[in-house]
Amino acid sequence: MNDVLLNFPWFILFVPLVSALVITFFTKRNRGLSAGISIGAIVISFILSLILFVATGTDTVTSPKLSMDWLSVGNFIVDFGITIDPLSKLMLLIVTGVGSAIHIYSWGYMHEDRAVSRYFASLSLFTFSMLGIVLSNNFLQMFIFWELVGVSSYLLIGFWYERPPAADAAKKAFITNRLGDFGFLLGIIMVWSLLGSLNFTVLQEVIVNNPAALGGLATVVGLLLFCGAVGKSAQFPLHVWLPDAMEGPTPVSALIHAATMVAAGVYMLCRVYFLLNLSDSFALEVIGWVGGLTALLAALIAVQQNDIKRILAYSTLSQLGLMVMAVGAHQPVAGMFHLTTHAFFKALLFLGAGSVIHALHHEQDIWKMGGLKKKMPVTFWTFLIGTLALSGVPPFSGFYSKDFVLSAAYDANIGLFVIGVIVSVLTTFYMFRLFFVAFLGHPKSESAEHAHESPKVMTVPLQFLTVLSVVGGLIGVNHYVAKAKVFPGSEHHFPWYAEFIAPIVHAPVAALFGIFAVVVGFTVAYKFYAGAQRDPLPGKLGALSRAMRGRFYFDEIYSALIFMTHEAVAKLADAIDRWIIAGLLVRGTHGTTELFGRALRLVQTGNLQTYAFLIVAGVAVVLFYVLFR
Amino acid sequence: MNFSLISLEIAVVILALGVLLGDLWTPAQHKRKLGYAAAAGLLLIFIFSIFARKELFPSGGTEILADYAFGKMFVVDGLATFFKQFFILAALFVIIMAAEFADRIKTGIAEFYSLILMALAGMLFASSANDFVLVFVALELITITFYILNSFQRNRISSLEAGIKYLILGAVSTAFFVFGLAFVFGISGTTNFSELHSLLSTNPVLGTQPLFLAGLFFIFVGLAFKLAAFPMQVWAPDVYQGSPAPATAFLAVGSKAAGIVLLLRVLFIAVPQVALEWTNLLIGIAAITILYGNLCAIPQRNLKRLMGYSSIANAGYLLLGFAALTRTGSSAVLYYLAGYLFTVIAAFTVIVLVTRQQDSDDITVLAGLGRRSPFLAAALTLAMVSLAGIPPLAGFFGKFLLLKAVVEQGASNTAYYVLVGVAIAGVVMSLYYYFGVIRAIYWSRDPNDLSPIAISIPTRLSLGVCMAGMLYLGVNPEPAIQLTKAAVKVLNIGI
Repeated sequence: MNDVLLNFPWFILFVPLVSALVITFFTKRNRGLSAGISIGAIVISFILSLILFVATGTDTVTSPKLSMDWLSVGNFIVDFGITIDPLSKLMLLIVTGVGSAIHIYSWGYMHEDRAVSRYFASLSLFTFSMLGIVLSNNFLQMFIFWELVGVSSYLLIGFWYERPPAADAAKKAFITNRLGDFGFLLGIIMVWSLLGSLNFTVLQEVIVNNPAALGGLATVVGLLLFCGAVGKSAQFPLHVWLPDAMEGPTPVSALIHAATMVAAGVYMLCRVYFLLNLSDSFALEVIGWVGGLTALLAALIAVQQNDIKRILAYSTLSQLGLMVMAVGAHQPVAGMFHLTTHAFFKALLFLGAGSVIHALHHEQDIWKMGGLKKKMPVTFWTFLIGTLALSGVPPFSGFYSKDFVLSAAYDANIGLFVIGVIVSVLTTFYMFRLFFVAFLGHPKSESAEHAHESPKVMTVPLQFLTVLSVVGGLIGVNHYVAKAKVFPGSEHHFPWYAEFIAPIVHAPVAALFGIFAVVVGFTVAYKFYAGAQRDPLPGKLGALSRAMRGRFYFDEIYSALIFMTHEAVAKLADAIDRWIIAGLLVRGTHGTTELFGRALRLVQTGNLQTYAFLIVAGVAVVLFYVLFR
Repeated sequence: MNFSLISLEIAVVILALGVLLGDLWTPAQHKRKLGYAAAAGLLLIFIFSIFARKELFPSGGTEILADYAFGKMFVVDGLATFFKQFFILAALFVIIMAAEFADRIKTGIAEFYSLILMALAGMLFASSANDFVLVFVALELITITFYILNSFQRNRISSLEAGIKYLILGAVSTAFFVFGLAFVFGISGTTNFSELHSLLSTNPVLGTQPLFLAGLFFIFVGLAFKLAAFPMQVWAPDVYQGSPAPATAFLAVGSKAAGIVLLLRVLFIAVPQVALEWTNLLIGIAAITILYGNLCAIPQRNLKRLMGYSSIANAGYLLLGFAALTRTGSSAVLYYLAGYLFTVIAAFTVIVLVTRQQDSDDITVLAGLGRRSPFLAAALTLAMVSLAGIPPLAGFFGKFLLLKAVVEQGASNTAYYVLVGVAIAGVVMSLYYYFGVIRAIYWSRDPNDLSPIAISIPTRLSLGVCMAGMLYLGVNPEPAIQLTKAAVKVLNIGI
């Protein structure tokens, strides 16, 4: 690999940062120029990533030029470096590719907003941070970018900060993420103290040479690292922030809270998979079940949501759960595969939803939509393809990746497999519920009557993502990423035409159940929602429906819990402060000394005779001591 | 006889007479500026003293050298030169402060300057005293000038009261001193420190004779009066409160340091054999002095009175170094004094300036100082923080060295640990009242006067030097420690 190419990763990483800085400091007043710079930056990064990908293929590149010493305190040495392997190259392409489409779409979606420059600056900052996570070659660097992603996410969720729900959602997302990050940081510290390095390559060597290096703490370390993913990838029990994050602009939801940032947790798990996949660690089992639980819960909640973005948000949660479950089922390649296809079709769905919302003047309730097929044909067809892909209809991309996840679960644990199938049924059901209600039937509101297609700048990215959503499962993502050295074992390789039927051949049970799930989900959705004016489910399910709509009351429980603990801790602290510290220690000491002070002051009468007497008396006493002790 | 040994004293006396004479030809409106002339003269003398010191210690103070004059009554050694420079510097600051104070002295500001210089001459003699007779003369020179200085604001009843109290209680202490001196001379037949020392080493029984011990103790009492240490501490608050601020400052720094140098000479040069037996006595006196000063200061609302109690407490801290009975302890005493000089001068300079408009010394006059003059506020804050012993200021490092010296001796006598405990308790108590002053500066409710305070250039300079000194001694203590270690080499006690 030549030297010019070695500079590419640095450019890919820093061009978005430069863009963010230039916009913030120089071009803030010029909306068009700011947008142009930001879009240009990510497109450049995308093109460079493509060149890098073509030039290096499946190679893992190492070079001293890709790393520099950054911190060195005693034996604590941290470098600032770049990892180039199939895993990071795949993520580069997803982040910059999907990112480019969404940046361009944003210009159409956001261009009436007052603060367009700030929007694009934040978007560029996010891109920089996300690329930082992807390219990091060590834990500390990754953690820093991890936090930067949290910050840029905060900025973008709270983009319309003058709206209280947006400001609250931004805070909630940030704080919830910090909870997970705390565990992540503890995990990082433990890794360093136990293994003596933070560099991924070095760590993997250490683990390969001595699989028992983590000793009895392997599970603890694994779970602490997983905490980071629980926060960022919104897994149960920290999943509550993601639906609220939909308060941000829709392209942000598409880019950050569907396609890329939330995938960072899964990416991180894959990156450090060698630390999790240890014989004496139960971390992967826990990870698998947490993922499965999240997938199931989120799918159930999605069934009874009426806000188009929230349905997609819970769907994202559910799919992230599946990815995490795949990692937990000892098949990180499946997780990465699903991450990739999900990035394509979920970005597509979000942008489609954004297009609808845009056309309906920020109407998000699906029961006020309807009849959009004729009015918004491009959005309609692309959204349909996105729905098919997410539902896992063959031969769309979702089918292949979900099948891989299901077969991994089938191999690992039948319980996880059952969860996976149920989630698939629910996924198809809620997606077609959304599709039937929002796009078909009669317009259910004034704004739906007068909707019309979005401009080209928005529909072209939709078409681009549609293509990816269709072919995403067949272009060999799974085989490519399996070449990454962080994953153990080799992968079967089929000729391209065999990819179509590979799932059936390879894992017939999983594939058949997957198709069966789609059929069931679609049938039920069609029965209930084709042409429906109102939601029939609340009448049928009663309390369960209310619980689903109420998101199983997690937010309420958390607020109550937090409020109660908060109150209790505050009361305790107050009591300690008031009675022990202020009362006993401070006032007690203060009172005693003050008392002595005042008593002694009585001695200082100002009367000269008294003074002279005191002096002589004092001298007499001490003299007695000197002479007759 | 070598007159160059007393060149500093001669120069100061000539300067004092010169100021008196200059007064005759100076028009009334310029008399205040005589102070600046005197300060300039002192600055020259100070610079001269640096060269004189270099002459005495060609190799920088590593050797023990002592030159005697007047039949061994007068000695010039490391200790003497250290204290002489200390006193000259103190007087320099005090005269600048007095010039700032001049408008409040209705008659004879030139005499005020001149008296400060006379007291300085007494202090210079005291630092070189090697004989009880010279000690007595020097002490009286200091004390009698202070009788006048303290009552110099004759139009103020409080100033007169302070003068009278100082006069009578000072007379009592002098009586003790002379009485003790008579006992010591009567038993030993000598008043010379060097002779007394050799007499005690050849004849140890002498050190156990009750009359001799009583005499020494009376002498100790007479010197403790200068320090404001127990049992001679009661005068300090009243006198500090009533006297003109520059006189109080000089009392707090100069007079106290004179007591310290004489105590060092008497205890550790003349009668170290007896001093080493007085461990518990010194520990007890130090502890009581610390507690007394700090406890009384807590309810105090008058700034100058507060400084009076603070002065007692600081005398207690200084006695820690004596109680250690080592040269490390003594050098810590010197170090602490150096920091104390800058701190007290800064505090009193600010008090002089702030109380100019308001005829009150109450702590409330500081209200709004943070806005009226950030510079003065910073100087006073720094002084209080240093007195409270907070790093990185001089006060912290001084207390640290003193406590370290005491702890090092802990193995020989467990009472030392009690003393350390008492000292630390005292420091904690002192935080309360020192920070009360800082609170008054910055967080007082509705200050009624927010007019800015004019500060003359010499005062600004002297405050700047004080602040720099507090910081420098705290941040880079090593050179000063070397200086103090060289100064205490002459003491006849262990390291």
